[in-house]
Amino acid sequence: MSAPLTIVVGSGGVGKTTLAAAIAADEARRGNDTLVMTFDPSLRLKDALGVDVDPESNEIRVPMDAPGELWASLLDARRTFDTLVDRYAPDDTARQRILTNRFYDHLSGSLAGVLEYMASERLFEVASFGKYQRVILDTPPTRQALDFLGAPERIVSFLESGALRIALKPWFDANGNFKAMARLGVLGRNVEAFFDRMVGMELLRDMAEFFQAFTPLYDGFVERALEVQKMLRSDATSFTLVSGPGEQRVADTLFFARKLSEAGYRLGPIVVNRVHPKVDAAPEVVNLADGRGLLAWLGRRDHQGVAQLRDLLGDSHPLVVVPLRPDEPTNLESLAELGALLREQLKG
Amino acid sequence: MDVLRRLEGLELIVVTGKGGVGKSVVTASLGRLLAARGRKVLLFEVDPRENLHQLLDTQPSGGEIINASPRLYLQHIEPRELIDDLVREKLKVNLLVNRVLASPVHRHFTEGAPGLKESAVFGRALRMVEGHGPSILRRPDVVILDAPATGHGVSWLAAPQLVADVVRSGPIGHMAEVISAFLGDRSRFGVVVVTTAEEMPVEESLELIAALDGRFGREPEAVIANALYPAIDAAEAEDDPATALWRDRRAINVTQLERLATAWTGPLAEVPLMAIDPGPALVGAIARRIEAQLRSS
Repeated sequence: MSAPLTIVVGSGGVGKTTLAAAIAADEARRGNDTLVMTFDPSLRLKDALGVDVDPESNEIRVPMDAPGELWASLLDARRTFDTLVDRYAPDDTARQRILTNRFYDHLSGSLAGVLEYMASERLFEVASFGKYQRVILDTPPTRQALDFLGAPERIVSFLESGALRIALKPWFDANGNFKAMARLGVLGRNVEAFFDRMVGMELLRDMAEFFQAFTPLYDGFVERALEVQKMLRSDATSFTLVSGPGEQRVADTLFFARKLSEAGYRLGPIVVNRVHPKVDAAPEVVNLADGRGLLAWLGRRDHQGVAQLRDLLGDSHPLVVVPLRPDEPTNLESLAELGALLREQLKG
Repeated sequence: MDVLRRLEGLELIVVTGKGGVGKSVVTASLGRLLAARGRKVLLFEVDPRENLHQLLDTQPSGGEIINASPRLYLQHIEPRELIDDLVREKLKVNLLVNRVLASPVHRHFTEGAPGLKESAVFGRALRMVEGHGPSILRRPDVVILDAPATGHGVSWLAAPQLVADVVRSGPIGHMAEVISAFLGDRSRFGVVVVTTAEEMPVEESLELIAALDGRFGREPEAVIANALYPAIDAAEAEDDPATALWRDRRAINVTQLERLATAWTGPLAEVPLMAIDPGPALVGAIARRIEAQLRSS
């Protein structure tokens, strides 16, 4: 658990993935062996990182002329799920049974928490190998980044409550017959009849089989998830919150910041990304075709947002303002420069 | 057929696109546009953090149907509650309802079963347009769904068929089949894709358009390219940093619009960035812009 971990969070579309890559490139240039774990990079960022070259391997060394090594890892739900099946299925028959389960295809892509689960697994592996001095974790493109952080805990509480055992395991006997409801007497039979009428017992059996197949995976998971949770709340981990510009984002950003702190995470800098420049002698009259007026308006809007945020945050968290750039960074050099800009602002 | 006419005739429109492209404001604007053309419109918001009410300057829905302006209504939807409602409706004995709702099977099934929540939202939309709404809005002409930004919008559209495939009997299986058929009917249901003219959103929109074609054999009714920098007038161009930035961002918009045009030749509305704070004025301005653009496309 030695790798200092930076977790980049924020709403969808604010530039988390690019900033995570930028921080990583800067760290490598400063001599730290760094891993960036990313979810949904643009084509050009994939090119820059070279992460789509070899989809089979977990981590890819990014060729970069820097004193530290830069590694990148692209997280993909389906692929990780396949890996988990390979790793945890007790034998070939079980493996085949999972892979041919009609739920597998759908669940491996859509089951709530899968992406989060595997990010935890990978974090655990990375942290326990101690191969990197810095790990930068991008978070999935969702408005609910907090769901992402809470997922391991939710899975743990779900598993510890025994809901899985109660819900799925003993309900079916060796012949696949539904049995536990019998214990509830008449009421139980009514509930059973209800489920049968609503969705059919066949479906429940399929789901039960699917979840049962993963029992060995759950066993170790509680332990690992708790380790990861401990790590996420330790001094080794810092959160970087990325926000879009403009006043209407301020409430959103404060909401995130408060939730992170309440949950016991260590929130580091708040980055306001893509801030329009201030335009002097800004004209007031604006129409649709008036680009200069619009630009001045956007500049005012963004800087008012930053000022408001600065006011409300006080000294609690450093605020970093990243100007809107002519284009997104597309190579390692410009990524590293963006990362350095972030770091410099934090110092000053 | 004229795309505005087509949109007017639909009973359900799903507005989809990547996070941060302005789906909510486009949803509100489409609603405003169709309401102004005489349709009774209900906006569905599924995102747990409500923001449509701010755009329309009304109180938050909190799950209720709110009348925002003439013929325009909005409602915040919690898919879980829709499913619980379904249980209550199908199972009339209270003691049993509580048993089922509290049972781990139900909780886990509704959380884990793929496609169930999405199907429940579509099911509610269908019930509304078929005239089973509450007294405040018995029967909207059209429901517009502001689809959540998680993953690709196509997983939302595929959900009812998925449920229909795995649940072959009972009311849920039946409901899923009815919804699937509804979504397959082009005269009743349409998709509107929102994007910005930047690399990632356009990439995702192109994937979405391809997936719509490949999996459902259909195309969106329209693509809305939002938040564009206006074209720069060469005569007025000065060489200060702000103008340079504007020129560069506009160039990205132009490149990405061209890229979009190689895969999408259907109705397209280009909506520029506007110097208006979020609220009814912005919604109105975007609605007028979309209308003008779709009329000429």
